[in-house]
Amino acid sequence: MTSKTKSAERRSLQPRTFTRQHRYVTWLSLSLMSFLALMVLIVYESRWVYPEIQAYFSQTGNLTGQQLATRSRVYLQDAQVELLNDQPEQAAYEAAMLDIELAYGLFDIYVYRRQYECTEPSLMDLNRLVAWLEMSEIDRVAAVEELFAPIECLTRIEMHQLDQRGEAINNFSESTRQHNLVLTYSSLLIFIMGLVFWWLHERQLRRTDRATQETFEWMQRAMRDPLTGIGNRSALHQDVMSHQHQKLGLVMIDIDFFKQYNDAYGHPQGDTLLRQLATLISQTLQQEAQLYRLGGDEFAALLHCPDVETLKRYCRQLIEGVREADFAHSAHPDKKSVTLSVGASCFTADERSFAHAYEAADKALYRVKAVGRDGWQVTEDA
Amino acid sequence: MNAFALPRSRWVRARDWLACGLMFLAIALPSTAFAQTVKLINGDVIQEIPLSDLRAISDTSFTLYDPYQGRDVEMKGVSFRRFLIDQFGAVPPALHFTAWDDYEVTLDGWDDPNWYLITFEDGDPLTIRTRGPARLVERAYSGRDIHNLRDFNDWIWMIRSIEAKW
Repeated sequence: MTSKTKSAERRSLQPRTFTRQHRYVTWLSLSLMSFLALMVLIVYESRWVYPEIQAYFSQTGNLTGQQLATRSRVYLQDAQVELLNDQPEQAAYEAAMLDIELAYGLFDIYVYRRQYECTEPSLMDLNRLVAWLEMSEIDRVAAVEELFAPIECLTRIEMHQLDQRGEAINNFSESTRQHNLVLTYSSLLIFIMGLVFWWLHERQLRRTDRATQETFEWMQRAMRDPLTGIGNRSALHQDVMSHQHQKLGLVMIDIDFFKQYNDAYGHPQGDTLLRQLATLISQTLQQEAQLYRLGGDEFAALLHCPDVETLKRYCRQLIEGVREADFAHSAHPDKKSVTLSVGASCFTADERSFAHAYEAADKALYRVKAVGRDGWQVTEDA
Repeated sequence: MNAFALPRSRWVRARDWLACGLMFLAIALPSTAFAQTVKLINGDVIQEIPLSDLRAISDTSFTLYDPYQGRDVEMKGVSFRRFLIDQFGAVPPALHFTAWDDYEVTLDGWDDPNWYLITFEDGDPLTIRTRGPARLVERAYSGRDIHNLRDFNDWIWMIRSIEAKW
């Protein structure tokens, strides 16, 4: 891949990540907003609509709960009862007058005057009757009869008002039904929208997770040698940097006469040998060491190194382990099986000392090669 | 329908004149002997205030649309908050009202200068037939539907007694 295509890819990746994140936030917000809207709708219904229903149907504790006309009629009927009661005439008249006055106060309402033609004449009748009663110019039975016309008028008003109330209740019932229908469907719609947005949010989340996982795997692969599965040079550098200020040992391993091995057995067999050696070196150094392939036939191992003696022991184990494994190498100039040259050094992990340790281990390795290979050396003052 | 005027006898004319006179008397005469006081109850203390006293302390006039009468009415009364402080020493948390029409209700929230206890309408003293002799009204009621009488349920009419609920 050329540098031009790499930079183009980088450019295309950056906005996409941003867009994804933006969309992720938007879906989540929309979903939460939908559920919030649903909650607001429910609260609205319970807090505002219910009192409206109460206002329509609750008849307790208010002045107009019972129709004024009804109360007025009851007082006029009470007046009739008072007039027909077996009591002194003056007492009967006074009681009746009080009832008629109360009835008048409840009857003399603008709405009744405007809507019902019988109201004005009835009020005039009551006026006249009160005057007669005050002057005692009417007998009881005649007074009772005088009250029938206003009572009839009030009854008519009551019936009409009841009809109107019934009509209002029917209209309210119908509008409530419509309202409930709209409410049900809108709640359902909002709920489904909330679910859809949530699903989109989940899908986006899964995509983001997958992308993160892919990136992570890609980064893992970038740190691995594809042939042997062990770390590469980048991984070695990263591991050293992650163990800052710790005492580490760096072991450089080179396969002796590997070119001749490839020539003799072919490259596939050479690859097999590389994998076998990687496994062998890992087992020999046990789990304390991390193994890396630096390229070609060169390996490196990174391990804790409390002292140089420990490092020397590991080097010795490596050489002996390969000898014991006895990998055939018919092209070996010294007629031996596969052998290794090993150079090592101890260092305290940081950027600068790692470079020195690498150089020291490499020099030790070349010293081994210079004296005939199949051996190890440790540089003690890296 | 055919309409025609019948010649009225002297007796009928006299009866009509008498009826008119009686109606005038009914309106002009003071409204009967009842409803001449408003009872104030404060625990065990019961005080009856004559309507004449109540009318005498009515010092505020204002014109207000009365939805029950469907017109602007000139009302005269006393600030109910001030009246309560004068009578009870403070504004009680709630008041129990009894009306001449046997209506009873307990309401709170009277520490409000908007309420007036009125005793006059268009210059005439309130009587039972004009929903008196004392009535509570709100001097300002903006935002309410004047065609919906339910909105004016707390205008207490025909007040007979006021009991402080501490």
